[in-house]
Amino acid sequence: MLECRIIEKHYGGVYALKGVSFDVRPGEVHALCGENGAGKSTLAKIIAGVVQSDAGEVWVNGEKVTFSSPAEARKLGIGIVFQELDLFEHLTVAENITLAHPEAERTVIRHATQDAFCRPFLRQVGLDVSPRTKLGDLSIAGAQLVAIARALSMKAKVLLLDEPTSSLTQEAAERLLNLIGDLKKAGTGIVYVSHKMGEIFRIADRVTVLRDGAHISTRPAAETSIEETIRFMVGREIDLASRVETPAGEVMALQVKGLRTLRLKEVNFSVRKGEILGVTGLVGSGRSALGEALFGLDPWTAGEVECLGKAYAPKRPAEAIQARFAYLPEDRRTQGLFLRMSVRRNASAVILPSLSRHGWIDFQREASVIQEELARTQIKMAHDALPVESLSGGNQQKVLLAKWLLTQPEVLYLDDPTRGVDIGAKADIYRIIKTLATEGKTILFVSSELPELLACSHRILVMNEGRSVALLETRATTQEEIMTLAANQPLLSS
Amino acid sequence: MIRSFISRLGRWQSVLGLALVFILAVIFSPHAHDGSIIFLAPGNLTDILRQQSEIGIMALAMTLVIISGGIDLSVGSVLAFSASLVAMLLVRWQPGLPETAQIGLAIVATVGLCTFLGVINGSIIHRLRIQPFIMTLAAMIGVRGLARWMTQNNNIDFGFGHDISADFASIFSNKFLVIGLWGAAAVIFYLLLERTVFGRYVRAIGENEKAAIYTGLPIAMVKVTVYALCGLAAGLAGVIHAARSYQGNPNDGVAYELDAIAAVVIGGTSLAGGKGSIFGTIVGTLIMGILTNLLRLCLIDANMELIIKAVIIIVAVWLQLERKARS
Repeated sequence: MLECRIIEKHYGGVYALKGVSFDVRPGEVHALCGENGAGKSTLAKIIAGVVQSDAGEVWVNGEKVTFSSPAEARKLGIGIVFQELDLFEHLTVAENITLAHPEAERTVIRHATQDAFCRPFLRQVGLDVSPRTKLGDLSIAGAQLVAIARALSMKAKVLLLDEPTSSLTQEAAERLLNLIGDLKKAGTGIVYVSHKMGEIFRIADRVTVLRDGAHISTRPAAETSIEETIRFMVGREIDLASRVETPAGEVMALQVKGLRTLRLKEVNFSVRKGEILGVTGLVGSGRSALGEALFGLDPWTAGEVECLGKAYAPKRPAEAIQARFAYLPEDRRTQGLFLRMSVRRNASAVILPSLSRHGWIDFQREASVIQEELARTQIKMAHDALPVESLSGGNQQKVLLAKWLLTQPEVLYLDDPTRGVDIGAKADIYRIIKTLATEGKTILFVSSELPELLACSHRILVMNEGRSVALLETRATTQEEIMTLAANQPLLSS
Repeated sequence: MIRSFISRLGRWQSVLGLALVFILAVIFSPHAHDGSIIFLAPGNLTDILRQQSEIGIMALAMTLVIISGGIDLSVGSVLAFSASLVAMLLVRWQPGLPETAQIGLAIVATVGLCTFLGVINGSIIHRLRIQPFIMTLAAMIGVRGLARWMTQNNNIDFGFGHDISADFASIFSNKFLVIGLWGAAAVIFYLLLERTVFGRYVRAIGENEKAAIYTGLPIAMVKVTVYALCGLAAGLAGVIHAARSYQGNPNDGVAYELDAIAAVVIGGTSLAGGKGSIFGTIVGTLIMGILTNLLRLCLIDANMELIIKAVIIIVAVWLQLERKARS
């Protein structure tokens, strides 16, 4: 029903797509895989009418079409849910869904009609909130579901989902995958862009791999495998499954007793030097709140913490940094990086006072210290004077990591460091984490992807509704056990 | 076409703009009786610098505020407050001190108080999280009121002959001293922004305040300091203004904040924060100054002048917009 033939697209002299062909049939899930920069998003944008191709044809239902805007694509029955959500946080859920909707938008707005229009779609995606809720009050996962509900409300015949589960918890992702199954049965053609091999092989009928803008392969899912797909994506062998080898140390690094804040109800755990403690839970379970509390960003209402043998109660991040505690925030683009500033200036931001004399920056020292650290983190880039926004997601994450490693931390709280980064960069991040642990650093590694936590931690802390509900030995636990502990409450209740 | 050429010039585009305006001024300037170009007369060129020095000094500090992601609308009122206060201290205060001591004290007290007004702006913006536009709009209204109330809405006229206020005026209306003050301030602000940790923090906070919080940067210190510097600069400009106009007038300086902001913006600093330079601001101030001078030399209606300025602002900013990758 949708077919792209030999699509080409270049930006300046750089080819984003080199003759890619791709099609979706009714009632089929066609997965689109590739590392960041492989051209998945560009292809998705061309299908959605956001970007125009330089060469090649798009056919819909046997007719050759050209569309120059998302609205035209929508009219032809193509719905798209972008990775970076195109929603309005100050509008309500219902307003977001009906805005510019060909059927639901009226010149004079009647809230009751609007609500009634939205409800079935919200129910369909399993989002149990009032249509009048402000979008900004929902979690990222909730907003993602609103975006999907909106696409459904447009009666899309082809639905394109760009990394839909990257910000969802396991449970919400599960629900989404079931929803995709239902849509498929109803005859919708689905283009599924994702990094997550497990999901792809659960739902996809066919798998297409892109690499560096070129079409590498299209195969029925039943005739290929995760290993083969990854090999096609990366162009080399990658080891994601090896477990942590070195045992954790004996010395206690961080002991948290009865920690409470407005968002944390009761957190207890302890972690040793050289240990990688996986931290997981649903979005809103307190895994980010815990990092922010320990980093001095959120005032404590109760609790005692000991860090490296000393009482620890930071009032502000500067005190946490002084105590050798580092926090890598969850959202690297809005919380972690100064996107338009250079890689070097991003990396040096925290340690700048130590690279200066009486407030005057020593530029030579800054350059040499940063270059050394960037080389160690293996960041691919032309020059560290380039703005950090020009790097791929994985490399941006590594810049953020380098920025904090420069503070010579003993305890690192990594809040979802592998979110939205490609497989090669993931492998690099696992390697860096494991190396840090063997050097005796303590790592708290937050992730929603349980397989990576199982592969890359000594123990796993499960959070649920602001509480630490379990501290499990990684070797002796399973995904099912963790999920049960994490999901013991309805999603999106708060 | 033109835009793609100009955007390739990068940081030199504002200099190119300045050169263009300069050439225009040479071409259109009226000639004196002996055939020389009036615009190029040394006296005229230094006049331009002196006339722009008040706006120029305020625009320097405004650059830091705008790069940090804020704005300061109160500088025009602070200038009036400063001019009125320094005039009162010179004309009505008789402490029986030696003359230089009294002049020095009056200036230090005035500029100090103006700096403190900036500290109040910065503290409230940071502590109460009131948007800078709104806080400094309130300060613009309030400080204007303060200046009028303090003077009972009277001009404080300086004496003639040899009393202390007249001596003050003759010192601080010296062209070269005033231009020198502006130049010194420019060097200081340039070094502050480009070479110090503080300057780097100003940029980082303007670029992404949330990331600055998560990086543990001293946001309160930086914000209070940039508004304090803005108050200080407006105070200094007010002292110069009083000397030049031989009086302290609480109703002066209206819309000066907008001229200062215009100079900053023409210089390529983004109101969105993060991006900008002191160099650009100086160029922007000079472009405005040369243009005003040229229009006056050509005896063009003062109201026409405003319309032309408006066009210049829009064109300058449009030319400097980052070229988005065409999709």
